[in-house]
Amino acid sequence: MAKKIMVVDDDKEITSYLTQLFKDNGYETVEANDGSEAHDIVAKEKPDLITLDLEMPNEWGPRFYRKLTQNPELKKIPIIVISGLPSNQYAIQKAVASLTKPFDRDELMKIVKQTIG
Amino acid sequence: MKKKILLATTGSPASFGAARVAFEMARRYDAELLLFHVAGVPKKGFSYQEVSDVRSQEAVQVDEDYMAWVEEELKTTYAKQLEECKNSRIILANGLPHREILRAARSEDVDMIVMGAHSGDSSASYSKGYPGSTLQRVAKAAKCPVMTVHRESASYMGGFSHIVFATDFSKQSESAFKYALSMAKEYDCEMTLFHALDITSKVLAQSDIEDKLITLRKRLRDVYGPKMVDFKNFEVDVWEGNPYVEIVKIARERMADLIVLAHNTRELDPEQASMGSTLEQVILRANCPVVSVNRPDKV
Repeated sequence: MAKKIMVVDDDKEITSYLTQLFKDNGYETVEANDGSEAHDIVAKEKPDLITLDLEMPNEWGPRFYRKLTQNPELKKIPIIVISGLPSNQYAIQKAVASLTKPFDRDELMKIVKQTIG
Repeated sequence: MKKKILLATTGSPASFGAARVAFEMARRYDAELLLFHVAGVPKKGFSYQEVSDVRSQEAVQVDEDYMAWVEEELKTTYAKQLEECKNSRIILANGLPHREILRAARSEDVDMIVMGAHSGDSSASYSKGYPGSTLQRVAKAAKCPVMTVHRESASYMGGFSHIVFATDFSKQSESAFKYALSMAKEYDCEMTLFHALDITSKVLAQSDIEDKLITLRKRLRDVYGPKMVDFKNFEVDVWEGNPYVEIVKIARERMADLIVLAHNTRELDPEQASMGSTLEQVILRANCPVVSVNRPDKV
């Protein structure tokens, strides 16, 4: 069964690009357009990995992550931060990786494969 | 609700972190933002208006053209934020930065001053040591709480949700506590009441340390518990170590968006109290904004 990746980003172009990239590599995908929307989706879909933007309209990435970690069922889902904010590696220090936009698709896929296979 | 925020900025990259937090706070919590900039310090005993420009350090004659140029520069620097934050004003001044910031804060009756720890110089060796003199002087004399955002990485990311209040049980911490609690209630945050047991001065047996931790946790509950009244979303914790390191660590562990602590916990007279060494180090190292509370006004 294919592993499921949730893409959380308010930029539609990024979500569609990432979704296509993951599908091309054999993963299932779900999308959320900001942190507050992502709360409901993550509980329902229970993805194997999340790519997370930091700056989004309603709920920012770090706040979404904090709530995620308060749920024992969800707190171990690996996170890959993909953001254009400076020093984004400090925002969610327990993330498996922090990539700065524009990111390298090969580097991202390598991290995803290493993390969830 | 913070109704009026004064962002004191040089417009240099060193203050971008503070600007990001101030603008986002104003937008999210519907506050007015005053973008405040001191264009330069007048030379020759203030006898005529020639200032050394903040960015170039060159002597410049102050006239309408120069001030219009400075304002335009600020508008360009913060174009995106100013566009998103409709309730904002740019205020320019000449003079000694700390004095002008305090004067503006007083005359505009602001609820909070937000600034970086240093002005333009953000070289690693310099910024590791201690906060700049402008922050030191503003924090000492300001009637309102002063929020410092030293690192661009400051993790206030879209609203407050967890506040760490660090205390050493001093009288001065009471105002800081009141402020932290009012913020936590207002923004519906979790709150951690924290004390760091300083074990750097002597070697203690581990059982002694653990006994002290138990006692101190109880003391935290006894001192602050009754003051929480109907606010239940808090926890208490005591860690041993070097106080500033432990405060920074628990803030990181809890993913705190804000640290609140007293300005100086030894000096009783706020007029005399310079910034405490723990506060200095927390400001420089924390991964989130730090609010120092010096006086009970505006709490």
